[in-house]
Amino acid sequence: MATMTFTQGSMTIADRVSLADPETTRIAHLLRRAGFGATRAEIDRAATQGYEATVEELLHPELQPDLEIEDLIRRYHTDQNSLMLLESSQGYWLYRIINSRRPLEEKMALFWHGLFATAYGKLNHAKAVVNQTHTFRRHGLGKFADILLELSRDPAMIFWLDNKDNHKDAPNENYGRELLELFSMGIGNYTEDDVKSAARSFTGWTIDNAEYMSIRASRDSFWPYGRIDWQFRYRDDDHDDSEKTFLGHAGAFNGQEIIDIIVRQPATAHYIGSKLYNFFVSDRPDEEAIGMLADEFTRTGGDIRAVMRCLFLSDFFSDESARLGRVKSPAELVGGTARLAGSHRTPEWTICNLAMDVNFMGQEILNPPTVEGWHTGMEWIDTGNLVERINAAGAEMRDTTRPGVSAIVDKVRSAGDVLSPRQLAEACLDAMGMFEVSETTLNSLVALAAPWGEIRFDKDDAVACSEERVVEMLQLVVASREYQLA
Amino acid sequence: MTTATATFEYSHTVGFLAYRGRGFIHPIALTLGDDGVMYVLNRGGPESVGRLEHKRVCVCTVDEGYIGEWGTGGTEDGQFWWPSDITRAADGRIFVTDEALQRVNIFDPSGNYVRHWGDVGDAPGQFNRPAGITAAPDGTLLISDGLNHRIQRFTIEGEYLAGWGDYGAQAGQFNTPWGLTCDADGNVFVADWRNDRVQAFTPKGQFIGQWGTAGDGKGQLNRPASVAVDGEGYIYVADWGNERVQIFGPDGEVAGILTGDATVSTWAADYLSANPDEQRARTEANLAPAVNPWRDHHRETSARIESRFWGPSSIAVDPEGRIYVVDSCRHRVQIYRKIT
Repeated sequence: MATMTFTQGSMTIADRVSLADPETTRIAHLLRRAGFGATRAEIDRAATQGYEATVEELLHPELQPDLEIEDLIRRYHTDQNSLMLLESSQGYWLYRIINSRRPLEEKMALFWHGLFATAYGKLNHAKAVVNQTHTFRRHGLGKFADILLELSRDPAMIFWLDNKDNHKDAPNENYGRELLELFSMGIGNYTEDDVKSAARSFTGWTIDNAEYMSIRASRDSFWPYGRIDWQFRYRDDDHDDSEKTFLGHAGAFNGQEIIDIIVRQPATAHYIGSKLYNFFVSDRPDEEAIGMLADEFTRTGGDIRAVMRCLFLSDFFSDESARLGRVKSPAELVGGTARLAGSHRTPEWTICNLAMDVNFMGQEILNPPTVEGWHTGMEWIDTGNLVERINAAGAEMRDTTRPGVSAIVDKVRSAGDVLSPRQLAEACLDAMGMFEVSETTLNSLVALAAPWGEIRFDKDDAVACSEERVVEMLQLVVASREYQLA
Repeated sequence: MTTATATFEYSHTVGFLAYRGRGFIHPIALTLGDDGVMYVLNRGGPESVGRLEHKRVCVCTVDEGYIGEWGTGGTEDGQFWWPSDITRAADGRIFVTDEALQRVNIFDPSGNYVRHWGDVGDAPGQFNRPAGITAAPDGTLLISDGLNHRIQRFTIEGEYLAGWGDYGAQAGQFNTPWGLTCDADGNVFVADWRNDRVQAFTPKGQFIGQWGTAGDGKGQLNRPASVAVDGEGYIYVADWGNERVQIFGPDGEVAGILTGDATVSTWAADYLSANPDEQRARTEANLAPAVNPWRDHHRETSARIESRFWGPSSIAVDPEGRIYVVDSCRHRVQIYRKIT
């Protein structure tokens, strides 16, 4: 389509067409950003309970059941029971994204995974990284101090940033440095002496059997009987309990005190606010909005749930300029489309293909490229992976035996017995919860459907052909510029 | 583990993680041949092209002799995609269920493909993820039809004979049944996986009784995967979700609970002796540390302590009183002995 161009700064939709009322449009936007999109039925349900109630529901994932097919996943995918291999573990996370009834929990896990980027590539232990994402699920909406504490105790992080090599008599500064630079305050807000003090405070924070596990990891050995899970171990005899000075405070600090000091820093509030803004709102920084999030962080002592509530209820979040203003990450695109299509609700071996699609689009979940995570936004899109994105989404929408696709087809049928090309395009967009597109995109869809003429559901011999046209239109919609955006 | 009449003692471990050749990769089931021969079915996974060859049957002996392997992954005749269970008929032929290809493959005693049958559906004789298979004493085959939630009986050539059960939790109903076996009289024992119980039936499918309720206490079950019975009426259950084996005595009471005691197999010892630095570090390591898992504690404990069962998916017993536990996430078979 002529509209398939993406250039930096061009995401604003000038000729926006609205197909639903403002409140429903706002809720659809919320469900895209706080989750992975929603079916029309899910949007309707949320609209009935209202925007603020939906925000509260999202903010309390613990009130929803945990993944209900966890046992089936492990039953059918023995390799996802052991999680020994990276591909298996990526498939497992994709199952969670597709089937979770706690969408914000999964979205927060992706956010923290991008911020505290820990990669399989160095660890050679996929389950250790999966376990870290479980930590993000448990604590991702909690107090930031708890998140940092759990992160500091996380075996994958200890291995990733060499804290197992951070000894009382031979400090290793890697974790202490990244804790300040990438995980909390940002560069320029601390000194080299602060880095040294942080590192010394985390001496003795290691894992069980560190030498044996290091040897295995270094040679990628899973012999004789598969990976052995790593486990945090605090070794008091290897902890430097001497006096330290850190960010203007003095004391015989251990890691816990360092975290407490970090969380009280205005720089931390601003840093985390800016990261949340970037992930959930826009790639283009807005200092006023970030300041609002930072203030809430400070006011609540680093309560991430409160900050997210502030974000979702803000005007800047719902503003027209924000809606469809971010490029979906590959995991969002693939997982969200599978949710919409209703695929993989029962474990299917094809999950590994879906996980590979995400990889091909440039996002190897559980294996980010560097400690800085992924470069997001427009960098998700280039000529090659745009084709991957469109093909993968189109393939998901092709199969009418999938319950989500079937529900969309039924919804379109309910729009009328006879649909013109424009009515067909609008009915498909509506049934997919895409209430905003550009006039250009809508006209393109109508033009592509024009050769089909009217489609009819009032004559038995026309129904099959009409349903095929609906599916073709769904595939065109997921190929649109707007579908690539959240 | 003892009762008044029997004890169950760990014997040794057979296995080693190997994608091909001498070892296993995510073994899911086994069947026993003559003279201590074991046919170990490897499910492997994920199903990416480069890993399909991991799906195979490894033939070895209970005393750790390696005989060979046959089969591979794929969709052609005789190939596996989601191989689920394996059984050996009295004539020596071997039958393998496949939950993805919805069929049963037949092999001769040497592992040569003979033929297959089965297609997807819910009509009598059709399958929706055929899971467990066992050869009944009357020469027929019994198959648990997982997502059709029923048991079906076939001739050894694949002709449908009878079936029973539907979805539910009442006596005689099933929720995703998996492993099954017969006693000498042809009574059928089914691991009713998602109902957290084992059910027993007459050869004609009449309900006899059940063992287990949902939970992880003594006598409770969590997603039992497989069941075996011996000549004295002991019932051995691979309590998959609880990462253990529970043994019910003839009186219905729990006669033993096994959680895994794996030691270094001969095949594993060969690897370690060839990698002395790894062996040294392993010797110095504490492989049974105190654990504090945060969730799903049985599974997470098994992930941390190598000797324990992790994903026990199949169990078998032989006339000598040996108990074979397929330890799927640890790529091995742990063997115990019943002492009477």
